[in-house]
Amino acid sequence: MTTLMVKKLPAEVKKNFTLQGMLYKSVLTLYRLFAILALYGVLFGVLAYAFMMGFYAVNTSWAAPVILSPADEKSLSFTEKMVTSRQSLENLVVDKKRLDASIFEMGGHRAALLALAPELQAAIVREKQHNRATGPQLITLDQQKQSDNAKTQTVMLQAKQVEVTIDKDLAAGLITKGDAAAQRAALNQAENSYTDSKINEVMLTDAILEKTTTHTKSLDVLDKQAELRSEIAQLDIAINVAEKQVREEAQQIDRLKKAIATAKQTPYNLIVSGGGPLHFAFVPYDNQSNVAAGSPVYDCYLNMVACRKVGTVKQVFTEEEHAIHPIYRSDIRGFMIQLQLDRPESARSKTIFLNHKPLLF
Amino acid sequence: MAPVLVWLILFLCLLISVIKYTLALILKFSVSGAKVKKDYTYQPTVSVLMPCYNEGQAVYESIKSISQSNYSNEKFEVIAQDDCSVDDSYQWMLKAQRDFTNIRVRVGRNSVNSGKARTVCNALQQSASEIIISIDSDCIFHPDAIRELAACFSEPNMGSVGGRVGVRNPNAGTITVIQTFLYYAAFQLYKIPENWTRSVGCISGCLFAIRRELLLQLEPKIRDRHWFGVPVNQGEDRFMTHQTLLHGYGTYINNDAICWTTVPTTLSELFKQQLRWRRSIIRDLFFTLKTLPQHVWKLHPNTVLTLVLTPLGAVVALLVVLTTLSSNPMAWAGPAPLVASLGIAAALSWAIRKYSSKETVTNPLVFGAYVAWSLVSNLLITPLALCTMDSRDWGTRSKEQEVPHDYVDGQEIAG
Repeated sequence: MTTLMVKKLPAEVKKNFTLQGMLYKSVLTLYRLFAILALYGVLFGVLAYAFMMGFYAVNTSWAAPVILSPADEKSLSFTEKMVTSRQSLENLVVDKKRLDASIFEMGGHRAALLALAPELQAAIVREKQHNRATGPQLITLDQQKQSDNAKTQTVMLQAKQVEVTIDKDLAAGLITKGDAAAQRAALNQAENSYTDSKINEVMLTDAILEKTTTHTKSLDVLDKQAELRSEIAQLDIAINVAEKQVREEAQQIDRLKKAIATAKQTPYNLIVSGGGPLHFAFVPYDNQSNVAAGSPVYDCYLNMVACRKVGTVKQVFTEEEHAIHPIYRSDIRGFMIQLQLDRPESARSKTIFLNHKPLLF
Repeated sequence: MAPVLVWLILFLCLLISVIKYTLALILKFSVSGAKVKKDYTYQPTVSVLMPCYNEGQAVYESIKSISQSNYSNEKFEVIAQDDCSVDDSYQWMLKAQRDFTNIRVRVGRNSVNSGKARTVCNALQQSASEIIISIDSDCIFHPDAIRELAACFSEPNMGSVGGRVGVRNPNAGTITVIQTFLYYAAFQLYKIPENWTRSVGCISGCLFAIRRELLLQLEPKIRDRHWFGVPVNQGEDRFMTHQTLLHGYGTYINNDAICWTTVPTTLSELFKQQLRWRRSIIRDLFFTLKTLPQHVWKLHPNTVLTLVLTPLGAVVALLVVLTTLSSNPMAWAGPAPLVASLGIAAALSWAIRKYSSKETVTNPLVFGAYVAWSLVSNLLITPLALCTMDSRDWGTRSKEQEVPHDYVDGQEIAG
């Protein structure tokens, strides 16, 4: 166990450091003075900052003045959107008219085609009925014809023998050459009649086939009928599409008209329309209860004290706006109001207060 | 313009931090040269200096843990020096001297309250060992701590070696959880790139080993430290580390030499401790600005970077907080800082659970409160430290005694 003993310096050594000690003391005094002031400054700064944060957390009457001009980004954007909206509206109206005309025309064409369809159907039915009636008759006639031709064929065989007899009679001098020629001409004529009769029989068979079975001519008619129906169906689709488009465009026109009407109720329209210096302020939704047309507006020093009345609320806009909180720098939602300021310089303040002073003074 | 400049500086600091921590991870797991080649056969004589002020029974526990060291008992001693404690610390020292007879324990007492730095110097007067280990009297030491520290001095140019400081009370509250994570990250990540070039900027006074001849060279400077005549009692660990580097020696943190300290459990204690540390950092910034021109070309670039950036970080952090509060006050309340801190907490919690289970944190989510603490810390502590550089209290210790002495040229004169 030991105890350390410290040495005592000689007095003359102490003396040598007196000047340095005085210098140190002076510097220390200045440093401590500065430190006290700085620390009080820091303390005041922290408290003031905390108070301001707390004040704006609980205050419900503040608004943030907004200086708008036609050259602002928002105003320019508003103008651009208005022009675009109006152009779109005009385009839609023109397009809708064109569609209406097109629908009318297609409707007329469809009506004409619809009128043609029953006539075609009636013709087909009539023809079928006729065929049903004449078909069996032709079959009977064809049978008779075949029977007649068979008999004629027998006769023609006999006529061949007669031709041989003519030659013999002419050679025997029983008949003259003139008689023989006349008899041969008669025979030839009979053969021609027989051939014609055979041709008629074949044609009659064709006619029966046409009337008693589904002939290609019938198919052509059915094809025409199908084409007609298809054309009508396509017209129906086109008309439906066009009508749907017309309805949609009508809705778009309504929406655009409403949007334009709404846009006309914003501060930006007032700014773009001109008409002297206008003052506006952003009000967060939390502070809505203190906003009414005609209520007083106060401007304060240090954003909270020594407030004075600087004007009134002229108009309240209902459309939602987004802004940056002037103190917290966070995104907030709210709406705009138009101010009637007696002191225009208050439009440049960071915050103003509505309805009443935020503190008692 | 000013905010842009501040944000630019913040970005650079963040970039440097990201590079530094990334480099730390790469070095930690893949570069063997980042670690000292320890020679355990090298066993120099060691004096463990234990300055003490108002620690009570904790000093007994500290000596007890040292007495259980795996280092040849003939090769080390404990020199406990009381700085006129107003409690029963001195009696506990004497009791330790009586109880732990397996090691040599010497107990001394200053004639007047002199501060920690001078108490270390006073204890040094009684030592003749090759290696001096200065410790905090409220710490508990791993049995291998002395052996690990001594083994690093086998590297000839090694001047000072520190150990890793763990937290004894990680789950005592939100504040201790935050400190547990910060301590772990500081030693296991932040110091690693500095270890690589043997240029650690600050070795913790909890476990600080230094070559005797070097400490003897530094002793007059330690005693001479003053702020316009007011003795400087704090930050001797940072000062000694800095001086080690300026004397051309290397500094190193051996994370296998471990001690555990009881960290502050209340905001008041934490604030005082951080204020003390911040004063030390700012004092070191002034010292760096004063000495750097004559040393800049001799020091390793990484050493220069460490010496300049660490204290500059505190000042930049203040500017960043001021800029943020004026430009976007709600940024601190947003989800990004909270999510970032919780992400860091998750990673560190996993690492601590795996590699240092004794410090396992049961509720890592409370690290989210670090966002609020960093705001207070960066906003208030730096200005307060700048305005109280003439303070000479012990910081986290109980009320100091009156110091009845004048100060002249680094020597104490009894009043």
